[in-house]
Amino acid sequence: MRIRGSWLLAAIFAAPCLLNAQFDFTLDGRDVQVHSFASQGFALSNVNNYLTMNTSGGSFGLTDFGFNASTAITDKLRVGAQLYDYNLGRLGDYHPQLDWAYADYKFRDWLGIRGGKVKTVQGLSHDTQDMEFLHTWALMPQSVYPLDTRGDTISHIGGDLYGDIGIKKMGTFSYTLFGGLRPNDPDGGYIYGVNTMSHVPAPQGGFMYITGQTKDVTYYGGPVYGADLHWATPLKGLLLGASYMIQDITTTGHYTEPVVVPYKLTTVTDKATQFYAEYVLGNLRFAGEYRSEPKIVQLNEPNGVLVQGFQDSRSGYVSLSYRFTKWLELGSYHSRYIDNWPTIHSDPRNHIFDQTFTARFDINKNVDFKIEGHFINGAAIDGVLDHGFYAAPNPSGLQPTMDMLVMRVGYHM
Amino acid sequence: MRNTQIFLCLVLLAVCAAVTAFAGDIKVIANPSVGASSVSADEIKGVFLATKTSLSDGSHVEPVLEKDGPAHEAFLKQFIGKTDTALETYYRSLVFTGKASMPKTLPADAEMVAYVAKTKGAIGYVSAGASTAGVKTLEVK
Repeated sequence: MRIRGSWLLAAIFAAPCLLNAQFDFTLDGRDVQVHSFASQGFALSNVNNYLTMNTSGGSFGLTDFGFNASTAITDKLRVGAQLYDYNLGRLGDYHPQLDWAYADYKFRDWLGIRGGKVKTVQGLSHDTQDMEFLHTWALMPQSVYPLDTRGDTISHIGGDLYGDIGIKKMGTFSYTLFGGLRPNDPDGGYIYGVNTMSHVPAPQGGFMYITGQTKDVTYYGGPVYGADLHWATPLKGLLLGASYMIQDITTTGHYTEPVVVPYKLTTVTDKATQFYAEYVLGNLRFAGEYRSEPKIVQLNEPNGVLVQGFQDSRSGYVSLSYRFTKWLELGSYHSRYIDNWPTIHSDPRNHIFDQTFTARFDINKNVDFKIEGHFINGAAIDGVLDHGFYAAPNPSGLQPTMDMLVMRVGYHM
Repeated sequence: MRNTQIFLCLVLLAVCAAVTAFAGDIKVIANPSVGASSVSADEIKGVFLATKTSLSDGSHVEPVLEKDGPAHEAFLKQFIGKTDTALETYYRSLVFTGKASMPKTLPADAEMVAYVAKTKGAIGYVSAGASTAGVKTLEVK
């Protein structure tokens, strides 16, 4: 499986270099643009294993690649699709996914509709979080853009209503209303976490999961809908925004221990609110986001008793980056995740704080290299769901602080 | 003291020269099929950021950019408010989410004029001194 993935990756990297051109072509008189991207990362931590990678021993398990084709059928109608494949530690396993595929009809600048599998617009970077070449960072702030659950959250199968409304002295408002179904990523972090984590409380004073392969969960999904509003303010370079999302997730499978019985987790309530801001002044970029997602879920224990789990997570980050030259950009962010807001924030079982420093080198217009230091405090293991620090890759428990080096090379065309 | 005054005067002159260069050294051009004869700065920004696909008269337009050079730099500074790198990143974010195609980019004024002249709906920009035979020069309101 990994050999196949490596060949695919090599092919994606090599083909455009050999051709030294984009794969654009004309079909029935219409220009079709083809673009591709790929990245390979390496992560090394002093303790703990992060994002299911064996980071404490050094891991190259951070690979992704994809390509897309799109064309304008008419002045108002566009169609396109993107294939995506990834491996992240024990996740992904190079199973190709249809990343997005949709038709987009724009009636007016202020009203368009797109339908199919659509990347969900939320916050500053939700729909572009997985394309490293668009961002300063090797790893996006994991509090808001967790890489391990990307496949479960990045898109919806349904549609968007969207548009841009310019109001002379007020700037431009860009809105998106979205609705549809969350896709199921059987190789993603959500199902992996549920399958490999047992809900036994961490021992008092300790910092350790009790872990076991107690479930075989195969499905995650359900309806999702919400809205996003970007405001490009009259102050040059300042963008403000807000997003709101409601989702009704169902997770199904079987308990495998102590008895084989059906497992079902349903959402009682799950509403996420997000606020964000970006200010760009020349080569300086400041950004910040805040997200609140209280949720209540209900699940059946192996003995049939229904129990509820409550989580009121808060997350956010502030970042600052500066591009010194065409080839060098430096940046830093501070990311915070609180698993359950009403409980003690300073407890490392309830938080993940990550201070990150990055240098990005653009080797040329199509290739970038990043080197990034993470100084992480906490692992937030007390929650309903894992958040990057999973039980199975950390059978000996977790240390409350961790330093990690991440290097990533990326290509796009 | 005298040297400081001379230095400050030179800096002031350089700033004035730079501002003047950006203010009037480009022309916005369009294919003759575009009905509008003038365009606002907000419309230009919208068209080149792919949030607008038509002008106020209803003409459908497709933006065309120069790869680099003084006209390109002046255009970005005057109308778009993004650096060249930031604009490329912005376009890529649209292309890799399927929301737009990568706009055509051309190496210099002559190629820009030739392409805009033959391409229905094309809108671009050139240096003020460039020949604009075969295209329409839009007044910027």
